[in-house]
Amino acid sequence: MRRLLPPRSAFPLTVAAFAFAFLGLFLAWPLYKVLASSFLDAEGARFTLDAYVKVFATGYYRSAVANSLAIGVMTTLACMAIGLPMAFLLARMAIPGRSVLLALSALPLILPSFIGAYAWVLLFGRAGIVTQWLQGLGLPTTTIYGMPGIVMVFTLHSFPYVLLPALAAVRAVDASIEEAGQNLGASRWRVFRTVTVPVIMPAVLAGGLLVFIETLENFGVPFVLAEDMPILAIEAYKLFVGEVGANPAMAGALAMLLVVMAALALLLQRHYLARRRFATVARSAPPVIRTGPLGRWAASAFVWGLVLLALLPFVAIVVVALMKFRGPVLQPEFSLGNFVQLFERAQRPLANTLGLATVAAVGASLIGIPIAYVLTRYRSPIAHALDVLAMVPFAVAGTVLGIGLILAFNSGWLVLTGGWLILVLAWLVRKLPFSVRSGSAILHQIDPTLEEASVNLGRSPSWTFFRLTVPLMLGGIVGGTVLAWVTIVSELSSTVVLYSGPWTTMTVVIFRALEGQGAGTAAAAATVLIVATVVPLALVYRLLRRNNLAVL
Amino acid sequence: MTAVTISRVARTFGAVRAVAGVSIAIEAGELFTLLGPSGCGKTTLLRMVAGFCDLDEGSIHFADRRIDTLPPHRRNTGMVFQNYAIFPNLTVHGNVAYGLSARGVAADDMRGRVERALALVHLPGYGERWPHQLSGGQLQRVALARSLVIEPDVLLLDEPLSNLDAQLRVDMRREIRALQQRLGITAIYVTHDQEEALAISDRIAVMRAGRLEQVGAPAAIYRAPATPFVAEFLGATNLLTGRVAGREDGHLLVDALGRRFRLPAVDAAAGTDVTFSLRPEALQPVTVAVAGAATVAGEIAAAEHLGALLHLEVRLGDGPPLRVAMLDDGAVAPAVGRPVTLAYDPSRITVFPP
Ligand SMILES: Nc1ncnc2c1ncn2[C@@H]1O[C@H](COP(=O)(O)OP(=O)(O)OP(=O)(O)O)[C@@H](O)[C@H]1O
Ligand SMILES: [Mg+2]
Repeated sequence: MRRLLPPRSAFPLTVAAFAFAFLGLFLAWPLYKVLASSFLDAEGARFTLDAYVKVFATGYYRSAVANSLAIGVMTTLACMAIGLPMAFLLARMAIPGRSVLLALSALPLILPSFIGAYAWVLLFGRAGIVTQWLQGLGLPTTTIYGMPGIVMVFTLHSFPYVLLPALAAVRAVDASIEEAGQNLGASRWRVFRTVTVPVIMPAVLAGGLLVFIETLENFGVPFVLAEDMPILAIEAYKLFVGEVGANPAMAGALAMLLVVMAALALLLQRHYLARRRFATVARSAPPVIRTGPLGRWAASAFVWGLVLLALLPFVAIVVVALMKFRGPVLQPEFSLGNFVQLFERAQRPLANTLGLATVAAVGASLIGIPIAYVLTRYRSPIAHALDVLAMVPFAVAGTVLGIGLILAFNSGWLVLTGGWLILVLAWLVRKLPFSVRSGSAILHQIDPTLEEASVNLGRSPSWTFFRLTVPLMLGGIVGGTVLAWVTIVSELSSTVVLYSGPWTTMTVVIFRALEGQGAGTAAAAATVLIVATVVPLALVYRLLRRNNLAVL
Repeated sequence: MTAVTISRVARTFGAVRAVAGVSIAIEAGELFTLLGPSGCGKTTLLRMVAGFCDLDEGSIHFADRRIDTLPPHRRNTGMVFQNYAIFPNLTVHGNVAYGLSARGVAADDMRGRVERALALVHLPGYGERWPHQLSGGQLQRVALARSLVIEPDVLLLDEPLSNLDAQLRVDMRREIRALQQRLGITAIYVTHDQEEALAISDRIAVMRAGRLEQVGAPAAIYRAPATPFVAEFLGATNLLTGRVAGREDGHLLVDALGRRFRLPAVDAAAGTDVTFSLRPEALQPVTVAVAGAATVAGEIAAAEHLGALLHLEVRLGDGPPLRVAMLDDGAVAPAVGRPVTLAYDPSRITVFPP
């Protein structure tokens, strides 16, 4: 009989107990409330499937499901179609400015997608700058609203999810594999199709899954661009906050559909990857492909064009923010007026955003890193359960978590609604999978015998973790925390459900400005967010790893 | 100086019985070696003593104190790791002082003890260096000093020399042995290198698939292996199987490889098969056969000249050739195909009864 509690388990058990308690309270309990509400009748007393029946009987909600799925699938395919060739070209062709390109190519991922969408509206919307200019010239205009616009904005935002892992995979393909293929008589194209692509496919699919889930749960982009088209994440929100009478049961049913779809995608990908793990260690990288100047020019134009296109809206926003508005009308004149107005009206949201995001990001690291430590260093059923639990937030849309937190904590022994803590908790839970994964990635590079040596010399496991391992991990932890902070600053999907009273954030300010008149203020607010995103990233660029980005 | 008593310890990983009921009594001040092929459970057993691997069954005592229920940081063992495990964020001094500050040793006392420990491993004055400025051998010395300075009850070494090159390995093993004897510390040493084990151990335990195969002093194990596995693992040998033909002059007569061998008498009926180990150096080519001496005749199938030593392969009848090792005194011309007579002393043969 193995002892139930081995003598060296105090530290991992403490961490596991805390993690289970924390995630149980702020993830499992809210999710349960959502689930329960979807199965209860109007009085909240009887079990019923009415909500689900009603969802599937209503054409509007059926098309919400269909639209969300279609957008998710199309965006995923588009990101793969862009990311895979881009990775291949970046790895194998002498494209000018490659290192700049590599640094820039991760950027779209980090810039707030919903600001990107807003920028496209500023440019191509009904009152957009380009639209008006085209109209002024009497030229036909295209619309940015609707499904094609949404898919385009998502694709330009998310393709690095595929590009970054695919790039790592292409680089890890050993030259001899391809040479062997060619030696056996296959043409270069055939080798690419039959050898190279299958070997990097797992990485591409892993990235594709991130795109799908991210797209499915995203609130801001469809909110800006969908107009009257129903979208799951938004309908759940609308039903919950109830513009025309709240319906928590149906909101819960839609939320559960979102969770189930994301979970299914996750399982599907696991199932696929379980049977395809190619360990490739590049001993010699494949040679740079030589082409004529035309080929190189085309490749460079493709890669540079896409990256610049993805960053263009952000540049546009900054420029617009620096211009003078008279009412909603843009004047060809530079001014800091928008920023002055913003700081008069939005000091509090700005402080909220920066301060609360810091608390949440640091909190995510404080909780996530010890969990990562237990996962990587102690193999046990408890660690495995922790691993699964810590990944659950990944499949839970922000809207859903927000709804759950309100259902769970608007009454009873712990009331959090109306305060700032509920925002911090939502962000923290949402960023936990990232913190855990990035922590694990760092830990895999630290030799575990160092910790054993420390314990052997008389330091307890917890002392060893906090005083030896954490200092060794510090660079990676700082990089990961900043990255988490950056994405929290631009979070919208749970924030929009949870903000209240004085606890609004910059994303909410922009979100509200979209409905109202303040295009200039919104652009200035978006600019502040962009700066708040890019500057810290540039500062910690050296501490960041590409795999950090790939698990955002 | 602490005696270590390991009683019926066992550990299973999934379906693998890594350690399957091992009992060892290690005496105070002894250098005890765990020797065995890869995967036999040496590291697991050592880590059980250190506390990094939980026991499914059994107990471990240091002197009269039961320690397997203690967490690893309270066991007072000094472990030397295969890959050194030197803290890269601390200087040499910081590394060696690590265990002392964990024990709350005062700063001025600490300085002296660290310096003495560094002098002990021939690194005096290296305290301010950083690990990345040291060679592999020097890192291993720092690791040794770091483990010794805390005056552990037991020193634990897991293949400490396997990352060093051949010459350094020989030097370091002598140093470790000399230090261990000088300090009179109890040490458990894990290796899969039989020469290393023979060279430095007071006693060796040969392990196989999680069990002890034999425990004893190096020479005793070499001369009288308890099982065919030990005979083959510890030193080269000719492991032969033959049929008992009868007895003569207190010897067992056994037919193997188409020849008749004389073996020490053991309990084996005529007609049964026995396995026996015949060390290469126990076979000597002779030019003149002495009457009554035990000999076998064959022809040289291959010869290898290794400086002072000559290795021959001698084909008898059928089956694989016999390995013969001798000092090259020039008496035998190692021409392939030449007939040769090999004399041996039956008492140097180990028979494994059926
Ligand atoms: N943490 C573990 N999980 C699963 N199996 C393990 C673990 N540690 C050891 N084993 C298994 O237990 C057996 C014994 O391993 P151990 O490391 O003790 O061998 P060893 O004798 O030290 O071998 P080597 O000479 O290769 O270091 C092996 O089959 C190994 O695969
Ligand atoms: Mg080992």
